[in-house]
Amino acid sequence: MTIYSKGETLLQVKNISLTYDNKCILSDINFSIDDIIRPGIQQGQVVSLIGRSGIGKTQLFRILSGLQKPDKGEILVRGCPENGSPKNITRFPDSANICPSDDEPPVRSGKPWTLRPVHAGDMGVIFQNYYQFGWRTVEQSLRLAAHQNKALMGAENDAILEYAAQFDLSDVLKRYPKQLSGGQQQRVSIIQQLLKGSDFLLLDEPFSGLDVCVLDKVVSLLLKVSLSHEFKTLIIVSHDIVTTVAISDTVFILGKKNGLEGSTIVQSIDLMERGLAWQEHVQEKKAFTETIREIKACL
Amino acid sequence: MFKPFERIHRTTVIMLVAIQVIVLLSIWQAAPVGLIPSPLRIGEALGGLFTSSLLWDNVLVSLLLTLKALFYSVLITLVFSYLSVVPFFRPLAHFIVKCRYLTLTGLIFIFTLLTRDGSQLKLSLLVFGIVPFFTTSFLSVILQTNAQEFELCQTLGYSRWQSLYEVIVVGKADQVFEVVRQNFAIAWMMITMVEGLSMSEGGIGTLLIKYNKYNDLVHVIALQAVIFGLGLFFDHLLGRLRHWFFPYTKL
Ligand SMILES: Nc1ncnc2c1ncn2[C@@H]1O[C@H](COP(=O)(O)OP(=O)(O)O)[C@@H](O)[C@H]1O
Ligand SMILES: [Mg+2]
Repeated sequence: MTIYSKGETLLQVKNISLTYDNKCILSDINFSIDDIIRPGIQQGQVVSLIGRSGIGKTQLFRILSGLQKPDKGEILVRGCPENGSPKNITRFPDSANICPSDDEPPVRSGKPWTLRPVHAGDMGVIFQNYYQFGWRTVEQSLRLAAHQNKALMGAENDAILEYAAQFDLSDVLKRYPKQLSGGQQQRVSIIQQLLKGSDFLLLDEPFSGLDVCVLDKVVSLLLKVSLSHEFKTLIIVSHDIVTTVAISDTVFILGKKNGLEGSTIVQSIDLMERGLAWQEHVQEKKAFTETIREIKACL
Repeated sequence: MFKPFERIHRTTVIMLVAIQVIVLLSIWQAAPVGLIPSPLRIGEALGGLFTSSLLWDNVLVSLLLTLKALFYSVLITLVFSYLSVVPFFRPLAHFIVKCRYLTLTGLIFIFTLLTRDGSQLKLSLLVFGIVPFFTTSFLSVILQTNAQEFELCQTLGYSRWQSLYEVIVVGKADQVFEVVRQNFAIAWMMITMVEGLSMSEGGIGTLLIKYNKYNDLVHVIALQAVIFGLGLFFDHLLGRLRHWFFPYTKL
């Protein structure tokens, strides 16, 4: 059994409801994501939102990202009230330091932080179609994002080259989005949002439309990102249960509850508690198979 | 070749067009219709025009005027179109669009009062005639903007003005060429009318009016052919320039 405890609340979803033309899509969605503390280890976490097609995952994703206002409720994120949200840069454990000035480990307590309403721009957002500006080359798109990150000031180019190398994109920096494969477009979107420097990375259906080889690559990439920083939090919205659960620490299931018209969180599963987090080859475990079966029953 | 959506080779296209043109001209030559001169006579007149400085001097005058008018029109169009995304300025932009329905003929007198000389009159009439069409096209380009373009800006933490710059100014820059290209015909059509108002400086329109006056149909049609050719040339040129300045439009 791995030892862990829960720390500060990083994100809180309060009473979210969404209605379109008198049709309730989401009702009363409540959950929160807390910092997970493992003694001696600095790492983020992966949270997944699972539900069947058409249940309202993308709508919830848009609300979480701050792009869409819910009809009721609010999303609160961790941020410093004085100087905006703390921007930090992802550092891969096995790579050279991208940002040498930001060496000290994140302070767990003592730093003034509060929960404040989310704004568009707080979250790293990766759309399902990996949209990028058609008039910008990959390099230009990445630079736009890097310029938004104060922690990268002056080191934007190094960071871009470093990420491109890590994500196997060095050859396509001069290309336009239309000249990239789906997998490459996805990686460009991920790097772009990482360069921006937000703690949260929201991904809508990151595993759909990828072939098996690319899928494995994306999965290990996402894991690497989640391990790179204490507050890095990946929120994956997906209907691909097995792939998503395999890399998640917490699972929230979006479904229908009796008496409610809209979708809501019908169950939350703490995979750490079940010993299914931070494990390689977790798919081969019996507890994993049982959990998958349990999730399927909820959908 | 006779199937819908069939792809054919480039040389085949050229051959196809050439054959169709030749067939059309031969029919025209073989069966003259009333007073309309035959292609051969028009060809002769064209040859004569090409070797005279008369044509080139007048074409140059018209071209310079058109380019000047296009330059100012694009400038004015861009300013009002960019501003149209700010609600305060939107009515103004839409008013300009509706100005398409104002016929210039009635406004010539007002413009004559407002301008100092013939060349200014011509330029301002042209600009006034062109801008509504440019603005109409460019506003529709702006309206067709994919909402995701703005959403990506938002996720990057851009302010509204930064989003305007990225999505509309930078993102739609290539469309400016397309708008000019698609509305070039209007400028070209108006130039003959405007040049008729102030003949002293010459121009291809003046030339056309003169030939018309003497019922010189051969030269009128020859001149029309020149205008047509120039139009095609600009169409091609603007397309090329767009690809050259914005390589991504070729993809
Ligand atoms: N703009 C809209 N107007 C009205 N209904 C919408 C709109 N967008 C989505 N919906 C509805 O919301 C529901 C959830 O959609 P979505 O969040 O895309 O589902 P998914 O879980 O597959 O991502 C669907 O029933 C869809 O019809
Ligand atoms: Mg969806």
